[in-house]
Order: sequence, then C-alpha cells, then structure tokens
Amino acid sequence: MEENLDKCLEEIHQLPNVIGVMYADRQGLCLGAKGHASNESAGIITAIADQAAKIEPNSKPPVVLLESETKQCFIQKADTVTAAIYKTNVTS
Amino acid sequence: MGCCYSCKEDNNSQSGDVNERTHLLVDPVSNINVIQRVHSDDFIAQYPNSLPKKSDEQSALNRILQETATNVIDVAALDSHNLEQHEYLERMRQYTQRLGAMGANVNTRWTGNSSAGGAGGSGTLLAPSAMGGPSTSPSGRMHLCLLTDIPAPEKVLAEDHPNPEDLILISNALEKASKALSDLKVEHREDLVVPFRIP
Repeated sequence: MEENLDKCLEEIHQLPNVIGVMYADRQGLCLGAKGHASNESAGIITAIADQAAKIEPNSKPPVVLLESETKQCFIQKADTVTAAIYKTNVTS
Repeated sequence: MGCCYSCKEDNNSQSGDVNERTHLLVDPVSNINVIQRVHSDDFIAQYPNSLPKKSDEQSALNRILQETATNVIDVAALDSHNLEQHEYLERMRQYTQRLGAMGANVNTRWTGNSSAGGAGGSGTLLAPSAMGGPSTSPSGRMHLCLLTDIPAPEKVLAEDHPNPEDLILISNALEKASKALSDLKVEHREDLVVPFRIP
C-alpha cells in the first residue's frame, strides 16, 4: 500500500538538482527516504517545521530553507506529512 | 529558736543602697500630694536628641534628595549616544581581540558541554567555507561545528532566496504525499478477539 508514496519519492528524486527526498509523519517518524536524505533526520526535520509554523500560527505553514555552500534543504509541513527536499546549490 | 518577725526599724534602706530590704512600693499615703513639676526647658535639656532641630531636618531632606538623584536614572533626559568613528573602531578592535582570545571555544556546540558555550552559536544558518570541521571544547570533546561566521552576511541574505520554483516544487511534493498517505490503512485480516471454545 505504500506504492504511491514510493512513486512520489521517486518522481521528486528524478527532478534535476534534487539529491534527496524524505517524508515524515506528524510524529516525526520517517515514511520514506530517497537519495541523500537519511531516515534518522526525520525527527529533527519535523521538529524544525513544527516550530517554524508556530511563528505565525494564523498563516499556512512556512517553507524552511537550510543552505550551505553546496546544498540546500527545503522543509515544509502539511497536515499529515512533513517533506524535506535536498538540492544542490546552483547559485554558488 | 527562730524568729518570725522582728520589730526593729529598718533605717538603712532609705540611705540609697539597694538591698533585700528596700521598699519596692512607695508609701502611697505620704506621696499622694507630691506632684513632680518639671520645667519644660529642663526636660528638653534632659533629652537633647529626641526632638529634631530645624537645621537637621533640612540637611536630612537634602541628603535624601541627593541620594535619590544619584540613584534615579532619568531616561527621558538621556542624550542619544552617538559613537565617534574612532571610538567605534577602537571598540571593534577590543571586541575582536577578546573573541580571538576565546579562540576555538566560540565554535563549540550549544549543548552546554563547554563553559564558553554561551558565546557560541554566532552567525547565521548559512555555513559556507568553514562548514563542518571538528573543533575542541575545553572538556576535550570533539564537536562538529555547523555554524560559523561569514564575512559579509548582508550580501548573502540580500540574494533572492528561495527560488519560487523550488517553493512550488515542495508544495507539490507535499500535496502528492498527502494524497498517497491516504492509501496507507490498516487491513483487517483476523479478529483480535476470539471466543474460547471449551468443549
């Protein structure tokens, strides 16, 4: 039954510049990880997304961008799932 | 044999010595008409410190006023503190010197393993050139340092981040994932509760 979720992971992973994708559920448990993403980071990614959403409780959940010299990590949460996408940093 | 009572008059008790025979109570009959008249000036002279003099009051008030004036900080009257250029440079030099003296301690993790950890965590979440790399805390443990200062943070922060396409990308990813999650459900195969059949 997790086929569709795996398909989503695969689709995102195939996109240009994407090196990793990870989904986590509301409790921070990893639902799926592909590429550079590690399933161990599911908890902290969920926590980051939760805390960031508290900054403006009345707006929709924000996108958190963590950036290093070579990589970027986008994190956003929805009602039931939190997603993290790792990309290579094209601007540097 | 002993004696219970003696009628010998006791004249020694009135001479001023206090002994076991001095009268504790004054004879009420003989003293009732004796009213002590004390002149008020004598009274004042007897207690010179209890009445505050006029000049003392004034000096006390002045003293209180002075203390309050030194202790109170008048915020409204404060002048705007404009730093001169040379003062600014001087301070910058002093601060960088002190930070340099702290050395590697500035980069230790915030977990509180080091005593100087409070000064750490500087900079932004952008961690370029010096990204990662181990550093040693005073306790001797090796920590991976994720945050370091970058020389020109305003340049990096002013860039147009993030790409709008990336935002769309992650929103789409989330939508698809939410939809796919609805496929995950519990499949009922066997009953959890089974009746025991005891023949």
